[in-house]
Amino acid sequence: MAKARKILHLDLDAFFCAVEEQLRPELRGKAIAVGGQPDQRGVVASASYPARAFGVRSAMPMAQALRLCPHLIVVGGTRGAYSDRSRKVMAILHDTAPDVEPLSIDEAFLDVTILPESIEETARKLQRRINRELDLPCSLGGATNKLIAKTANTIGKASKPKDAPPNAITIVAPGDEAQFLAPLPIRGLWGVGPKNAETLASLGLRTIGQVAQWSEAALVARLGKLGGDIWRRAQGIDTRPVQAGGAAKSISKEVTFAVDIADDARLLLTLRRLADGVGRAARKAGLAGTIIKIKLRYGNFSTHSRQTTLEYATDNDTVIMKCAERLFLQSRIDDTPVRLIGIGLSGFAEPSRQLDLWGKAERPAESSEFQSALDQLRDKYGETTIRRASDLHYQPNDDNRR
Amino acid sequence: MIVSVLQENLAKSLGIVTRAIESSPPLPVLSNVLLETEDSRLKLSATNLEVSITAWIGAKVEQAGSITLPARTFSELVGTLSRERIDMKLDASTHTMEMRCGVQTTNIRGIDADEFPPINHGPEADFHLAGDTLKEMINQTVFAAATEMNRPILTGVYVKLEDTTLTMAAADGYRLAVRTSEMANSFDEKQDMVIPARTMNEVARICGDDMEVGVCLPKERNAITFTAPNVVITSQALDGRFPDFAAIIPRSFATTTMLYTSDLLAVCRRAEIFARDNANSSTMVVRPADNPGEPADVMIVGKSAERGDTEGAAQATAEGEPLDISFNIKYLIDVLNVIKEERVIFQSNGPENPGVLKPEEREDFVHVIMPMSK
Repeated sequence: MAKARKILHLDLDAFFCAVEEQLRPELRGKAIAVGGQPDQRGVVASASYPARAFGVRSAMPMAQALRLCPHLIVVGGTRGAYSDRSRKVMAILHDTAPDVEPLSIDEAFLDVTILPESIEETARKLQRRINRELDLPCSLGGATNKLIAKTANTIGKASKPKDAPPNAITIVAPGDEAQFLAPLPIRGLWGVGPKNAETLASLGLRTIGQVAQWSEAALVARLGKLGGDIWRRAQGIDTRPVQAGGAAKSISKEVTFAVDIADDARLLLTLRRLADGVGRAARKAGLAGTIIKIKLRYGNFSTHSRQTTLEYATDNDTVIMKCAERLFLQSRIDDTPVRLIGIGLSGFAEPSRQLDLWGKAERPAESSEFQSALDQLRDKYGETTIRRASDLHYQPNDDNRR
Repeated sequence: MIVSVLQENLAKSLGIVTRAIESSPPLPVLSNVLLETEDSRLKLSATNLEVSITAWIGAKVEQAGSITLPARTFSELVGTLSRERIDMKLDASTHTMEMRCGVQTTNIRGIDADEFPPINHGPEADFHLAGDTLKEMINQTVFAAATEMNRPILTGVYVKLEDTTLTMAAADGYRLAVRTSEMANSFDEKQDMVIPARTMNEVARICGDDMEVGVCLPKERNAITFTAPNVVITSQALDGRFPDFAAIIPRSFATTTMLYTSDLLAVCRRAEIFARDNANSSTMVVRPADNPGEPADVMIVGKSAERGDTEGAAQATAEGEPLDISFNIKYLIDVLNVIKEERVIFQSNGPENPGVLKPEEREDFVHVIMPMSK
């Protein structure tokens, strides 16, 4: 088994208010709210902890906040100062760990697996540095994955007294993930919205622990694919990496031929195989795209790309292949030897398919049932178990240039 | 040919007939409008060989004659002339029409009328319909016709006469609109045909409130003719059989919701702003109340991965099962735009099953939309 990861989730406590207190020290320790004016139907963007003690919350109408806390000091906000402090915090994080994934102006994940010291130690050092160097309170959650680290941080902050910044550190030890989640209400689980919570409640499932005890198959039957995701998360399983550059923007596959190829039939075979690869990678990543792009580099290194935008996001091999073939035939310079060929999928959106009035019987290869049956066969027996008839005489190793 | 007409009348009828003209027709003369004198009227015709439109306006005819004039130049000029009398005089030897109107004198070169293809509008009408009914029937169906050519028959509106019922239907493969109306005449033998959506749009444009429109059904030439006062439209019917649609309209439903048409339309339009990035897919969430008669929760959710999301509640009552169903929100907007009744009924049997909309207390219009599936 791979070595357990060490993931930290960092959240700056009442960030906008903390920055305002630096700019105007007379506000320190007072009930303040950053946001729009009540007479302009403003809402609370951030509330200090003394204000939270009165029930003032983010996104609340400012007028309501003033009713709850009549002595609340409303502050207009200083955008430039927030992003400046945020950049400084992120710089400290990058100084600490190679992989930092900013989630927002005041929140980030760090992968600190490679650091020799314990995760508590790293968290404490980081917190001390941000407290001292930037005079900002912050809370950290640590665990073996993003889900537990973030949840731990939320729980840890909530357990502190309400009237001062929590500056909390909460660590869940490896192996304790499921146990940590078990008593929490299911709404606390990432990906469970009000509708799913309702569905789960109707099954008698109110805590994450109860969900974890259920069978995965039963949840999938009720909630579809998301049921499986929720079940895995309820076990405390989350394999998402800390992604420095944010989420993937495109998935692409390309091949450089050992010898430049001029034969269209051969190029189309390669293109189909690349389409399958892109489709499979997209499905594994749970992504579906609306933009399909092909790239052709000729023997003289001139490179041409061409793309098309679909009406519906797809992760289907056959749909990707058909588009790629059409783009290829439109952009191909006849008989010119090709050095490199590639396909990319981007423009990610929710995978969706418009259902047909008269059924889809005429295009079975484009159905998700067909696609997932193929995936299962390939998962179980290997990638070459089932191939297109057109690929039967094709040796995959023909292509790659060393 | 020497003829005088009023600018207003000429501009209006040019606006009607020139809609038959294609942007780049196969023959140069098809870019032209045919002008012919007919008793004390001027007759204007245009065609793309599939659809032909003819209109008549009152005129003072001094000398009979005919000519074709380039539609674009002619219409553009007439449109800018002052609201006065236009005196036109043809020089037959040069096919040039001299036009005088107020301070303006213009010469437009045309093509001999003999080169214009013969236009055969149908003979006597087989039946008549009130203009406003015909217009409403077309408007409630034609938008659902396909605009892409992968199934050519679906680019038309299906028209059926059987007994005293006239049925119009259109579908693009994802949605279906069916509208019926009772006629004074009875057709013992069923007649059906598929008319290009483009023709139907033109017919709807010429239909007014206080007029009767005559319809001459396709006979040996497979063309249908619509006759309104001073305007006639003849169109080829499409070849092929319209797919059977009666079977895809569900008869019983797990969830029935009653909503306010304009309220629902407003919520859908807001969802569309975000759904645009997501193939227009928006989710309708229906939660019937625990007790009958109490308001239900109906939400329309539009999401964009990059720009954000919006969720709007529509006033509703609902019966049956809770439902979460996703649609191309444009389809919902399209149908709500052609329902004039205050309230609309939405029904379905689940997220993978068609959604059915109809105006409250009306059995003559039904719209079916297939959902989007994850």
